[in-house]
Amino acid sequence: MINIKDIRDTARDMLAKGEVRTVIGYRRGSRGMPAEPAFITSPEQADELIWDPTCYHNLSLYLVHDRKISAHLQKNSGLPIAIVAKGCDARSIVVLMQEHYFKREDVYIIGVSCEGTGVLDERKLASHLNGVQPTLAAFDGDDYVFTTAEGEKRLPAREVMADRCLECRIPFPKEHNLVFGDDKTGRQLAEPFAALTKFEEQGNSERWDIWSHHFDRCMRCFACRSVCPMCYCDECVVDSITFPVTQQTSAAEKADRVRWIERSAMRSENITYLMTRAMHLAGRCTDCGECDRACPVNIPIRMLNNKMEREAREKFGYEPGASIGGPSLVASFLDNDPGDFIR
Amino acid sequence: MSEQQNYEPRVVAFLCKWCSSAGSDLAGVSRIQYPPNATPITVPCTGAVSPMYILSAFNKGADGVLVSGCHIGDCHYIEGNFLARRKMQLIMQLLEFIGVEPNRFRMSWVSAAEGAKFAQVITDFVDDLKPLGPQEKLKKADRI
Ligand code: SF4
Ligand code: SF4
Ligand code: SF4
Repeated sequence: MINIKDIRDTARDMLAKGEVRTVIGYRRGSRGMPAEPAFITSPEQADELIWDPTCYHNLSLYLVHDRKISAHLQKNSGLPIAIVAKGCDARSIVVLMQEHYFKREDVYIIGVSCEGTGVLDERKLASHLNGVQPTLAAFDGDDYVFTTAEGEKRLPAREVMADRCLECRIPFPKEHNLVFGDDKTGRQLAEPFAALTKFEEQGNSERWDIWSHHFDRCMRCFACRSVCPMCYCDECVVDSITFPVTQQTSAAEKADRVRWIERSAMRSENITYLMTRAMHLAGRCTDCGECDRACPVNIPIRMLNNKMEREAREKFGYEPGASIGGPSLVASFLDNDPGDFIR
Repeated sequence: MSEQQNYEPRVVAFLCKWCSSAGSDLAGVSRIQYPPNATPITVPCTGAVSPMYILSAFNKGADGVLVSGCHIGDCHYIEGNFLARRKMQLIMQLLEFIGVEPNRFRMSWVSAAEGAKFAQVITDFVDDLKPLGPQEKLKKADRI
Protein backbone atom coordinates (compact mmCIF):
# COMPACT_ATOMS: atom_id res chain seq x y z
CA MET A 1 0.00 0.00 0.00
CA ILE A 2 1.39 3.37 -0.98
CA ASN A 3 1.34 6.10 1.63
CA ILE A 4 0.88 9.45 -0.08
CA LYS A 5 2.90 11.04 2.70
CA ASP A 6 6.01 9.33 1.31
CA ILE A 7 5.51 10.87 -2.13
CA ARG A 8 4.85 14.31 -0.64
CA ASP A 9 7.90 14.10 1.64
CA THR A 10 10.09 13.09 -1.29
CA ALA A 11 8.84 15.98 -3.41
CA ARG A 12 9.16 18.51 -0.61
CA ASP A 13 12.64 17.35 0.25
CA MET A 14 13.95 17.35 -3.32
CA LEU A 15 12.57 20.82 -4.04
CA ALA A 16 13.89 22.22 -0.75
CA LYS A 17 17.37 20.89 -1.51
CA GLY A 18 17.19 22.24 -5.04
CA GLU A 19 17.80 18.83 -6.59
CA VAL A 20 14.97 19.09 -9.10
CA ARG A 21 13.27 21.89 -10.97
CA THR A 22 9.72 20.59 -10.79
CA VAL A 23 7.89 17.56 -9.52
CA ILE A 24 5.24 16.38 -11.96
CA GLY A 25 2.54 14.44 -10.16
CA TYR A 26 -1.19 14.36 -9.55
CA ARG A 27 -3.47 16.59 -7.51
CA ARG A 28 -7.20 16.97 -6.85
CA GLY A 29 -8.92 18.11 -9.98
CA SER A 30 -11.52 20.79 -10.35
CA ARG A 31 -14.04 18.41 -11.94
CA GLY A 32 -14.99 16.37 -8.89
CA MET A 33 -13.39 12.97 -8.50
CA PRO A 34 -10.74 12.75 -11.24
CA ALA A 35 -7.19 13.77 -10.46
CA GLU A 36 -5.33 16.17 -12.70
CA PRO A 37 -1.66 16.66 -13.52
CA ALA A 38 0.20 18.87 -11.06
CA PHE A 39 3.43 20.77 -11.55
CA ILE A 40 4.93 21.29 -8.13
CA THR A 41 7.71 23.87 -8.04
CA SER A 42 7.98 24.86 -4.38
CA PRO A 43 8.25 22.72 -1.21
CA GLU A 44 5.04 24.24 0.21
CA GLN A 45 3.00 22.89 -2.68
CA ALA A 46 4.10 19.31 -2.07
CA ASP A 47 1.06 18.58 0.09
CA GLU A 48 -1.16 19.01 -2.96
CA LEU A 49 0.09 15.72 -4.36
CA ILE A 50 -2.27 12.76 -4.34
CA TRP A 51 -2.31 9.14 -5.46
CA ASP A 52 -5.62 7.43 -6.16
CA PRO A 53 -7.34 5.27 -8.82
CA THR A 54 -8.06 8.31 -11.00
CA CYS A 55 -4.34 8.99 -11.58
CA TYR A 56 -4.60 7.47 -15.02
CA HIS A 57 -2.73 10.18 -16.96
CA ASN A 58 0.62 9.33 -18.45
CA LEU A 59 2.63 12.30 -17.22
CA SER A 60 5.66 11.58 -19.38
CA LEU A 61 3.86 13.68 -21.99
CA TYR A 62 4.96 16.74 -20.00
CA LEU A 63 8.61 15.73 -20.18
CA VAL A 64 8.16 15.93 -23.95
CA HIS A 65 6.48 19.32 -23.64
CA ASP A 66 9.30 20.55 -21.46
CA ARG A 67 11.88 19.51 -24.04
CA LYS A 68 9.94 21.28 -26.77
CA ILE A 69 9.64 24.46 -24.75
CA SER A 70 13.34 24.56 -23.89
CA ALA A 71 14.25 23.88 -27.51
CA HIS A 72 12.00 26.74 -28.55
CA LEU A 73 13.51 29.10 -26.00
CA GLN A 74 16.98 27.78 -26.89
CA LYS A 75 17.63 27.34 -23.20
CA ASN A 76 19.37 24.54 -21.42
CA SER A 77 16.86 23.19 -18.97
CA GLY A 78 19.40 22.67 -16.17
CA LEU A 79 18.14 20.71 -13.17
CA PRO A 80 16.26 17.46 -13.74
CA ILE A 81 12.51 17.07 -13.45
CA ALA A 82 11.02 14.57 -11.04
CA ILE A 83 8.00 12.66 -12.22
CA VAL A 84 5.52 10.30 -10.65
CA ALA A 85 5.30 7.29 -12.95
CA LYS A 86 3.31 4.07 -13.00
CA GLY A 87 4.65 0.97 -14.75
CA CYS A 88 3.37 1.85 -18.21
CA ASP A 89 4.40 5.52 -17.77
CA ALA A 90 7.92 4.53 -16.77
CA ARG A 91 8.13 2.33 -19.84
CA SER A 92 7.14 5.35 -21.97
CA ILE A 93 9.97 7.28 -20.37
CA VAL A 94 12.33 4.42 -21.22
CA VAL A 95 11.22 4.53 -24.87
CA LEU A 96 11.79 8.29 -24.97
CA MET A 97 15.32 7.81 -23.62
CA GLN A 98 15.91 4.89 -25.99
CA GLU A 99 15.11 7.36 -28.78
CA HIS A 100 17.48 9.93 -27.24
CA TYR A 101 14.66 12.38 -26.62
CA PHE A 102 16.28 13.22 -23.30
CA LYS A 103 18.94 11.72 -21.08
CA ARG A 104 18.55 9.55 -18.03
CA GLU A 105 20.00 12.25 -15.78
CA ASP A 106 17.39 14.75 -16.99
CA VAL A 107 14.65 12.90 -15.17
CA TYR A 108 14.16 11.58 -11.69
CA ILE A 109 11.58 8.82 -11.72
CA ILE A 110 9.42 8.49 -8.60
CA GLY A 111 7.91 5.12 -9.40
CA VAL A 112 4.55 4.02 -8.07
CA SER A 113 3.56 0.37 -8.22
CA CYS A 114 0.00 -0.48 -9.20
CA GLU A 115 0.32 -3.44 -6.85
CA GLY A 116 -2.76 -5.67 -7.03
CA THR A 117 -4.82 -3.16 -8.95
CA GLY A 118 -4.43 -0.48 -11.63
CA VAL A 119 -6.31 2.63 -12.56
CA LEU A 120 -9.98 3.34 -13.00
CA ASP A 121 -11.91 3.31 -16.27
CA GLU A 122 -14.56 5.99 -15.74
CA ARG A 123 -16.71 4.56 -18.53
CA LYS A 124 -16.95 1.27 -16.68
CA LEU A 125 -17.66 3.01 -13.39
CA ALA A 126 -20.66 4.88 -14.79
CA SER A 127 -22.60 1.64 -15.19
CA HIS A 128 -21.95 0.63 -11.59
CA LEU A 129 -23.04 3.72 -9.72
CA ASN A 130 -26.58 4.23 -11.10
CA GLY A 131 -26.08 7.90 -11.81
CA VAL A 132 -24.60 8.79 -8.44
CA GLN A 133 -21.63 11.13 -8.81
CA PRO A 134 -18.62 10.08 -6.76
CA THR A 135 -16.50 12.87 -5.34
CA LEU A 136 -13.47 10.86 -4.29
CA ALA A 137 -11.85 7.54 -5.14
CA ALA A 138 -9.33 5.66 -3.04
CA PHE A 139 -7.33 2.43 -3.17
CA ASP A 140 -8.04 -0.15 -0.52
CA GLY A 141 -6.37 -3.48 -1.06
CA ASP A 142 -8.05 -5.09 -4.05
CA ASP A 143 -10.98 -2.67 -3.88
CA TYR A 144 -11.68 0.88 -4.83
CA VAL A 145 -13.67 2.95 -2.36
CA PHE A 146 -15.78 5.80 -3.73
CA THR A 147 -17.18 8.65 -1.69
CA THR A 148 -20.60 9.74 -2.92
CA ALA A 149 -23.41 11.95 -1.62
CA GLU A 150 -25.15 8.72 -0.58
CA GLY A 151 -22.21 7.50 1.43
CA GLU A 152 -19.29 5.23 0.75
CA LYS A 153 -19.39 2.70 -2.05
CA ARG A 154 -16.89 -0.13 -2.31
CA LEU A 155 -16.28 -2.00 -5.54
CA PRO A 156 -13.79 -4.74 -6.40
CA ALA A 157 -11.17 -2.92 -8.48
CA ARG A 158 -11.23 -5.53 -11.24
CA GLU A 159 -14.82 -4.65 -12.10
CA VAL A 160 -14.07 -1.03 -12.93
CA MET A 161 -10.39 -1.13 -13.84
CA ALA A 162 -9.17 -0.18 -17.30
CA ASP A 163 -8.80 -3.21 -19.58
CA ARG A 164 -5.13 -2.51 -20.03
CA CYS A 165 -4.60 -2.75 -16.29
CA LEU A 166 -6.45 -6.05 -16.08
CA GLU A 167 -4.20 -7.35 -18.84
CA CYS A 168 -1.03 -5.64 -17.58
CA ARG A 169 1.95 -7.97 -17.38
CA ILE A 170 4.26 -5.70 -15.40
CA PRO A 171 2.30 -3.34 -13.11
CA PHE A 172 5.57 -1.99 -11.74
CA PRO A 173 7.97 0.74 -12.93
CA LYS A 174 11.20 -1.23 -13.32
CA GLU A 175 13.12 1.87 -14.33
CA HIS A 176 13.05 4.24 -11.35
CA ASN A 177 15.17 6.30 -9.02
CA LEU A 178 12.86 5.61 -6.15
CA VAL A 179 9.80 3.41 -5.97
CA PHE A 180 6.79 3.12 -3.69
CA GLY A 181 4.59 0.06 -3.33
CA ASP A 182 5.32 -3.63 -3.76
CA ASP A 183 6.27 -5.23 -7.02
CA LYS A 184 3.35 -7.52 -7.88
CA THR A 185 4.63 -8.55 -11.30
CA GLY A 186 3.10 -11.89 -12.08
CA ARG A 187 -0.32 -11.07 -10.64
CA GLN A 188 -2.74 -12.03 -13.35
CA LEU A 189 -6.17 -10.44 -13.40
CA ALA A 190 -6.88 -11.26 -17.05
CA GLU A 191 -5.02 -12.98 -19.85
CA PRO A 192 -2.65 -10.59 -21.63
CA PHE A 193 -4.35 -9.34 -24.82
CA ALA A 194 -7.69 -10.79 -23.63
CA ALA A 195 -9.86 -8.08 -25.22
CA LEU A 196 -7.89 -8.31 -28.46
CA THR A 197 -8.15 -12.09 -28.62
CA LYS A 198 -11.90 -11.90 -28.15
CA PHE A 199 -12.21 -9.35 -30.93
CA GLU A 200 -10.06 -11.38 -33.29
CA GLU A 201 -12.27 -14.42 -32.97
CA GLN A 202 -14.61 -12.71 -35.41
CA GLY A 203 -14.26 -13.14 -39.14
CA ASN A 204 -12.76 -10.71 -41.61
CA SER A 205 -16.02 -9.14 -42.70
CA GLU A 206 -17.36 -8.76 -39.14
CA ARG A 207 -14.12 -7.06 -38.17
CA TRP A 208 -14.43 -4.72 -41.13
CA ASP A 209 -18.06 -3.90 -40.22
CA ILE A 210 -17.00 -2.90 -36.75
CA TRP A 211 -13.90 -0.99 -37.74
CA SER A 212 -15.54 0.86 -40.62
CA HIS A 213 -18.13 2.24 -38.20
CA HIS A 214 -15.40 3.33 -35.84
CA PHE A 215 -13.46 4.94 -38.65
CA ASP A 216 -16.57 6.79 -39.78
CA ARG A 217 -16.89 8.39 -36.36
CA CYS A 218 -13.38 9.76 -36.11
CA MET A 219 -13.46 13.53 -36.52
CA ARG A 220 -9.71 14.03 -36.67
CA CYS A 221 -9.57 16.12 -33.53
CA PHE A 222 -6.09 14.59 -33.02
CA ALA A 223 -6.70 14.26 -29.29
CA CYS A 224 -5.20 10.77 -29.48
CA ARG A 225 -2.03 12.20 -30.97
CA SER A 226 -1.86 15.17 -28.59
CA VAL A 227 -2.12 13.03 -25.48
CA CYS A 228 0.46 10.44 -26.56
CA PRO A 229 4.01 10.93 -25.29
CA MET A 230 5.29 8.95 -28.26
CA CYS A 231 3.66 11.26 -30.81
CA TYR A 232 6.30 13.92 -30.37
CA CYS A 233 7.19 14.72 -34.00
CA ASP A 234 7.07 18.41 -34.79
CA GLU A 235 6.15 17.56 -38.33
CA CYS A 236 3.47 14.90 -38.53
CA VAL A 237 3.28 13.01 -41.79
CA VAL A 238 -0.49 12.73 -41.71
CA ASP A 239 -1.19 16.36 -41.03
CA SER A 240 -0.01 18.95 -43.53
CA ILE A 241 -0.76 21.80 -41.14
CA THR A 242 2.22 20.82 -38.99
CA PHE A 243 4.72 21.22 -41.81
CA PRO A 244 7.01 24.05 -40.77
CA VAL A 245 6.69 27.22 -42.75
CA THR A 246 9.16 30.04 -42.38
CA GLN A 247 9.58 33.28 -44.26
CA GLN A 248 12.04 31.47 -46.50
CA THR A 249 9.55 28.79 -47.55
CA SER A 250 8.62 29.50 -51.14
CA ALA A 251 5.18 28.99 -52.59
CA ALA A 252 6.59 26.24 -54.81
CA GLU A 253 8.02 24.40 -51.82
CA LYS A 254 4.68 24.56 -50.04
CA ALA A 255 2.86 23.28 -53.10
CA ASP A 256 5.35 20.47 -53.71
CA ARG A 257 5.11 18.91 -50.29
CA VAL A 258 3.82 15.39 -50.37
CA ARG A 259 0.42 15.34 -48.76
CA TRP A 260 -0.09 11.66 -48.10
CA ILE A 261 -3.61 12.10 -46.87
CA GLU A 262 -6.23 14.80 -46.67
CA ARG A 263 -7.08 16.51 -43.43
CA SER A 264 -10.81 16.13 -43.99
CA ALA A 265 -12.52 13.59 -41.75
CA MET A 266 -13.56 11.08 -44.40
CA ARG A 267 -13.50 7.39 -43.68
CA SER A 268 -10.64 6.60 -46.05
CA GLU A 269 -8.50 9.40 -44.63
CA ASN A 270 -9.35 8.47 -41.05
CA ILE A 271 -8.29 4.91 -41.72
CA THR A 272 -5.02 6.03 -43.20
CA TYR A 273 -4.44 8.30 -40.24
CA LEU A 274 -5.17 5.70 -37.58
CA MET A 275 -3.31 2.92 -39.40
CA THR A 276 -0.27 5.13 -39.94
CA ARG A 277 -0.34 6.09 -36.31
CA ALA A 278 -0.53 2.44 -35.24
CA MET A 279 2.47 1.64 -37.47
CA HIS A 280 4.46 4.55 -36.07
CA LEU A 281 3.74 3.38 -32.54
CA ALA A 282 4.63 -0.26 -33.12
CA GLY A 283 7.30 -1.18 -30.60
CA ARG A 284 6.96 2.23 -28.93
CA CYS A 285 3.47 2.26 -27.47
CA THR A 286 3.57 1.04 -23.90
CA ASP A 287 -0.19 0.65 -23.61
CA CYS A 288 -0.69 3.53 -21.21
CA GLY A 289 -4.20 3.80 -22.60
CA GLU A 290 -4.27 7.57 -22.87
CA CYS A 291 -5.28 7.74 -26.54
CA ASP A 292 -8.22 5.48 -25.91
CA ARG A 293 -9.30 7.52 -22.90
CA ALA A 294 -8.93 10.85 -24.68
CA CYS A 295 -10.94 9.94 -27.77
CA PRO A 296 -14.22 11.87 -27.53
CA VAL A 297 -16.07 9.38 -29.73
CA ASN A 298 -14.89 6.16 -28.07
CA ILE A 299 -12.85 4.71 -30.89
CA PRO A 300 -11.00 1.70 -29.47
CA ILE A 301 -7.60 2.97 -30.62
CA ARG A 302 -5.92 0.84 -28.02
CA MET A 303 -6.92 -2.25 -29.96
CA LEU A 304 -4.83 -1.20 -32.99
CA ASN A 305 -1.78 -0.53 -30.86
CA ASN A 306 -2.38 -3.67 -28.89
CA LYS A 307 -2.45 -5.68 -32.09
CA MET A 308 0.95 -4.31 -33.06
CA GLU A 309 2.27 -4.99 -29.57
CA ARG A 310 1.20 -8.59 -29.74
CA GLU A 311 2.63 -9.13 -33.21
CA ALA A 312 5.93 -7.65 -32.07
CA ARG A 313 5.97 -9.86 -29.03
CA GLU A 314 4.92 -13.09 -30.66
CA LYS A 315 6.77 -12.78 -33.96
CA PHE A 316 9.88 -10.89 -32.95
CA GLY A 317 10.08 -11.35 -29.18
CA TYR A 318 10.01 -7.58 -28.77
CA GLU A 319 8.90 -5.85 -25.59
CA PRO A 320 8.42 -2.05 -25.76
CA GLY A 321 10.09 0.02 -23.07
CA ALA A 322 12.19 -2.88 -21.78
CA SER A 323 15.60 -1.21 -21.87
CA ILE A 324 17.09 2.17 -22.59
CA GLY A 325 19.97 0.81 -24.63
CA GLY A 326 17.94 -1.79 -26.51
CA PRO A 327 17.26 -1.74 -30.26
CA SER A 328 14.04 -0.30 -31.65
CA LEU A 329 11.50 -2.67 -33.18
CA VAL A 330 11.59 -1.52 -36.79
CA ALA A 331 15.25 -0.52 -36.93
CA SER A 332 16.43 -3.99 -35.96
CA PHE A 333 15.86 -7.57 -37.05
CA LEU A 334 16.74 -11.13 -36.23
CA ASP A 335 18.06 -13.59 -38.79
CA ASN A 336 15.18 -15.91 -38.00
CA ASP A 337 12.34 -13.38 -38.13
CA PRO A 338 9.37 -15.16 -39.72
CA GLY A 339 9.26 -14.83 -43.49
CA ASP A 340 6.92 -17.62 -44.52
CA PHE A 341 4.37 -15.11 -45.81
CA ILE A 342 6.81 -14.05 -48.52
CA ARG A 343 6.52 -15.85 -51.85
CA MET B 1 -20.32 -11.38 -69.67
CA SER B 2 -20.74 -10.40 -66.04
CA GLU B 3 -18.98 -7.39 -64.62
CA GLN B 4 -16.84 -9.67 -62.49
CA GLN B 5 -15.22 -11.22 -65.55
CA ASN B 6 -14.50 -7.83 -67.11
CA TYR B 7 -12.88 -6.56 -64.00
CA GLU B 8 -9.14 -6.04 -64.22
CA PRO B 9 -7.48 -5.44 -60.87
CA ARG B 10 -4.95 -2.66 -60.60
CA VAL B 11 -1.78 -3.68 -58.83
CA VAL B 12 0.84 -1.28 -57.53
CA ALA B 13 4.18 -3.09 -57.42
CA PHE B 14 7.06 -1.66 -55.41
CA LEU B 15 10.12 -3.32 -56.92
CA CYS B 16 13.63 -2.96 -55.64
CA LYS B 17 16.03 -1.56 -58.17
CA TRP B 18 18.67 -4.27 -57.81
CA CYS B 19 16.65 -7.48 -58.00
CA SER B 20 12.92 -7.48 -58.67
CA SER B 21 12.98 -4.55 -61.05
CA ALA B 22 15.77 -6.25 -63.01
CA GLY B 23 13.76 -9.48 -62.76
CA SER B 24 10.78 -7.77 -64.34
CA ASP B 25 13.05 -6.52 -67.15
CA LEU B 26 14.26 -10.06 -67.70
CA ALA B 27 10.65 -11.28 -67.93
CA GLY B 28 10.16 -8.60 -70.57
CA VAL B 29 13.23 -9.28 -72.69
CA SER B 30 12.59 -13.02 -72.42
CA ARG B 31 9.11 -12.31 -73.84
CA ILE B 32 7.36 -14.13 -71.03
CA GLN B 33 3.63 -13.40 -71.12
CA TYR B 34 2.03 -12.14 -67.92
CA PRO B 35 -0.97 -9.94 -67.11
CA PRO B 36 -0.40 -6.22 -67.68
CA ASN B 37 -2.20 -5.24 -64.47
CA ALA B 38 0.81 -4.14 -62.43
CA THR B 39 2.13 -0.60 -62.31
CA PRO B 40 5.78 -0.93 -61.28
CA ILE B 41 7.34 1.64 -58.99
CA THR B 42 11.08 1.21 -58.62
CA VAL B 43 12.46 1.80 -55.14
CA PRO B 44 16.11 1.64 -54.06
CA CYS B 45 15.41 -1.22 -51.64
CA THR B 46 12.43 -2.97 -50.05
CA GLY B 47 13.78 -1.58 -46.80
CA ALA B 48 12.91 1.87 -48.15
CA VAL B 49 9.24 0.99 -48.58
CA SER B 50 7.38 2.84 -45.89
CA PRO B 51 4.06 1.35 -44.78
CA MET B 52 2.74 4.77 -45.72
CA TYR B 53 3.39 3.94 -49.40
CA ILE B 54 1.20 0.89 -49.10
CA LEU B 55 -1.61 2.68 -47.32
CA SER B 56 -1.33 5.50 -49.81
CA ALA B 57 -1.55 3.14 -52.79
CA PHE B 58 -4.74 1.63 -51.38
CA ASN B 59 -6.01 5.11 -50.57
CA LYS B 60 -5.54 6.13 -54.19
CA GLY B 61 -7.41 3.14 -55.49
CA ALA B 62 -5.01 0.19 -55.85
CA ASP B 63 -6.79 -3.16 -55.74
CA GLY B 64 -3.63 -4.94 -54.65
CA VAL B 65 -0.15 -3.95 -53.52
CA LEU B 66 2.99 -5.99 -54.12
CA VAL B 67 6.36 -5.41 -52.51
CA SER B 68 9.19 -7.37 -54.07
CA GLY B 69 12.93 -7.38 -53.57
CA CYS B 70 16.14 -9.40 -53.30
CA HIS B 71 16.24 -12.74 -51.55
CA ILE B 72 17.46 -12.73 -47.97
CA GLY B 73 21.25 -12.53 -48.08
CA ASP B 74 21.32 -10.80 -51.46
CA CYS B 75 20.39 -7.26 -50.43
CA HIS B 76 22.61 -4.67 -52.05
CA TYR B 77 22.51 -2.76 -48.78
CA ILE B 78 23.16 -5.97 -46.80
CA GLU B 79 20.22 -5.72 -44.42
CA GLY B 80 17.48 -3.69 -46.12
CA ASN B 81 15.30 -6.70 -46.85
CA PHE B 82 15.62 -7.97 -43.28
CA LEU B 83 14.17 -4.67 -42.11
CA ALA B 84 11.47 -4.84 -44.78
CA ARG B 85 10.50 -8.34 -43.71
CA ARG B 86 9.63 -7.01 -40.25
CA LYS B 87 7.84 -3.88 -41.35
CA MET B 88 5.83 -5.65 -44.02
CA GLN B 89 4.80 -8.36 -41.59
CA LEU B 90 3.41 -5.64 -39.29
CA ILE B 91 1.49 -3.71 -41.94
CA MET B 92 0.16 -6.96 -43.39
CA GLN B 93 -1.17 -8.00 -39.98
CA LEU B 94 -2.70 -4.59 -39.39
CA LEU B 95 -4.51 -4.59 -42.74
CA GLU B 96 -5.92 -8.02 -42.03
CA PHE B 97 -6.88 -6.99 -38.54
CA ILE B 98 -9.21 -4.22 -39.67
CA GLY B 99 -10.77 -6.60 -42.18
CA VAL B 100 -8.95 -5.99 -45.46
CA GLU B 101 -8.81 -9.23 -47.46
CA PRO B 102 -5.40 -10.88 -46.88
CA ASN B 103 -4.93 -11.42 -50.61
CA ARG B 104 -4.75 -7.71 -51.33
CA PHE B 105 -1.22 -7.41 -50.04
CA ARG B 106 1.67 -9.57 -51.10
CA MET B 107 5.41 -9.71 -50.73
CA SER B 108 7.88 -11.72 -52.76
CA TRP B 109 11.58 -12.21 -53.31
CA VAL B 110 12.48 -12.13 -56.99
CA SER B 111 16.13 -11.94 -58.05
CA ALA B 112 17.45 -10.34 -61.25
CA ALA B 113 17.75 -13.85 -62.75
CA GLU B 114 14.17 -14.86 -61.99
CA GLY B 115 12.18 -13.41 -64.89
CA ALA B 116 9.90 -16.44 -64.96
CA LYS B 117 9.27 -16.20 -61.24
CA PHE B 118 8.34 -12.54 -61.60
CA ALA B 119 5.78 -13.38 -64.27
CA GLN B 120 4.39 -16.12 -62.04
CA VAL B 121 4.11 -13.83 -59.01
CA ILE B 122 2.12 -11.28 -61.01
CA THR B 123 -0.06 -13.94 -62.63
CA ASP B 124 -0.90 -15.54 -59.28
CA PHE B 125 -1.56 -12.19 -57.66
CA VAL B 126 -3.93 -11.06 -60.39
CA ASP B 127 -5.72 -14.44 -60.27
CA ASP B 128 -6.18 -14.10 -56.53
CA LEU B 129 -7.35 -10.49 -56.80
CA LYS B 130 -9.99 -11.05 -59.47
CA PRO B 131 -12.54 -12.82 -57.26
CA LEU B 132 -12.24 -10.05 -54.65
CA GLY B 133 -13.51 -7.33 -56.97
CA PRO B 134 -12.54 -3.67 -56.68
CA GLN B 135 -10.95 -2.48 -53.46
CA GLU B 136 -13.30 0.06 -51.90
CA LYS B 137 -12.42 -0.14 -48.24
CA LEU B 138 -9.39 2.09 -48.11
CA LYS B 139 -10.06 3.99 -51.30
CA LYS B 140 -10.66 7.70 -51.06
CA ALA B 141 -14.23 8.55 -52.00
CA ASP B 142 -14.72 10.80 -55.02
CA ARG B 143 -14.99 14.41 -54.06
CA ILE B 144 -18.36 15.40 -52.74
S1 SF4 C 1 -1.26 -0.61 -17.39
FE1 SF4 C 1 -0.18 -1.65 -15.71
S2 SF4 C 1 1.36 -0.20 -15.02
FE2 SF4 C 1 -0.12 0.94 -16.26
S3 SF4 C 1 -1.60 1.77 -14.80
FE3 SF4 C 1 -2.41 -0.18 -15.50
S4 SF4 C 1 -1.67 -1.72 -14.01
FE4 SF4 C 1 -0.45 0.14 -13.76
S1 SF4 D 1 -0.50 5.10 -28.42
FE1 SF4 D 1 -1.94 5.45 -26.73
S2 SF4 D 1 -1.52 3.79 -25.28
FE2 SF4 D 1 0.23 3.92 -26.66
S3 SF4 D 1 1.71 5.25 -25.66
FE3 SF4 D 1 0.46 6.55 -27.00
S4 SF4 D 1 -1.23 7.31 -25.70
FE4 SF4 D 1 -0.27 5.56 -24.65
S1 SF4 E 1 -9.48 8.62 -33.12
FE1 SF4 E 1 -10.70 9.83 -31.66
S2 SF4 E 1 -9.17 11.12 -30.60
FE2 SF4 E 1 -8.19 10.35 -32.46
S3 SF4 E 1 -8.54 11.95 -34.02
FE3 SF4 E 1 -10.21 10.44 -34.22
S4 SF4 E 1 -11.87 11.26 -32.95
FE4 SF4 E 1 -10.00 12.33 -32.33
